[in-house]
Amino acid sequence: MGAGYIIKGEVIIINRELTELDRFVMDFLQVLKKHSDYLIVSGFVSISTGRTRGTEDVDILVPVMSKSQFTNLFAELRENGFWCYQSENPDEVYDYIKEMVSVRFARVKEMYPNIEFIPITPAKKAKYFEFTHPQKMRVHNFEFKVPPIEFEILYKELVLAGDKDLKDAKHLRTIFSDLIKKEKFKEYEAVVRMEL
Amino acid sequence: MKEIDYVELYARELKKNPALFRQQKMLIESQYNASRSLFRNMFQGEDYNQKAREYLRGIGLLK
Repeated sequence: MGAGYIIKGEVIIINRELTELDRFVMDFLQVLKKHSDYLIVSGFVSISTGRTRGTEDVDILVPVMSKSQFTNLFAELRENGFWCYQSENPDEVYDYIKEMVSVRFARVKEMYPNIEFIPITPAKKAKYFEFTHPQKMRVHNFEFKVPPIEFEILYKELVLAGDKDLKDAKHLRTIFSDLIKKEKFKEYEAVVRMEL
Repeated sequence: MKEIDYVELYARELKKNPALFRQQKMLIESQYNASRSLFRNMFQGEDYNQKAREYLRGIGLLK
């Protein structure tokens, strides 16, 4: 029967097949990674580890980049079949990024799921902390980065704290019960609380 | 059983039995395909993005 996941080195390997949602995120990251580092946060972390619920968006933290870098990324996303909710014009979309406002991308002729592209800088202390402390996760040949599991749990319990978030946290606490560490919760709690 | 207990029970079972991921895949892909089909029908034609933006403004997701 096997296990739901195994640990290999520093990577958590989830023992399942890829879904269409994974393929959507994988295609987006294939382009994004050429231009920037990233971190996937929130719902997708729980869903990719087996939480049985739908989602409309996949949240990805991306450090603010220069206008020319963003213009190149934007062009390549369009070439690869993505459209941006905010505008067809990268200059207009960059205005959002500059103001630290999220923008959204979906596949051409689709609305959902979408990628919520969340700009961050070191001034966003908690988000920058998780961004700089990634946990690698893999499903088949799809490897991606998420926050430390304890951080993700605390963020959902203390900051987001909606019904769906508390269930996501419960899921993570249960499925990773033999992986999560008490001392990590202590270490991360002060950082997470900066978001409150 | 409370829903949150169900979440815990499912996660506990999933940990031992990865075959349960197949059910999860079916649910996720069913939502994915339903959404794709719904919005393709709603915003038919060449101006999909424009119609989609009007809809997004209507629901407050876009200013």
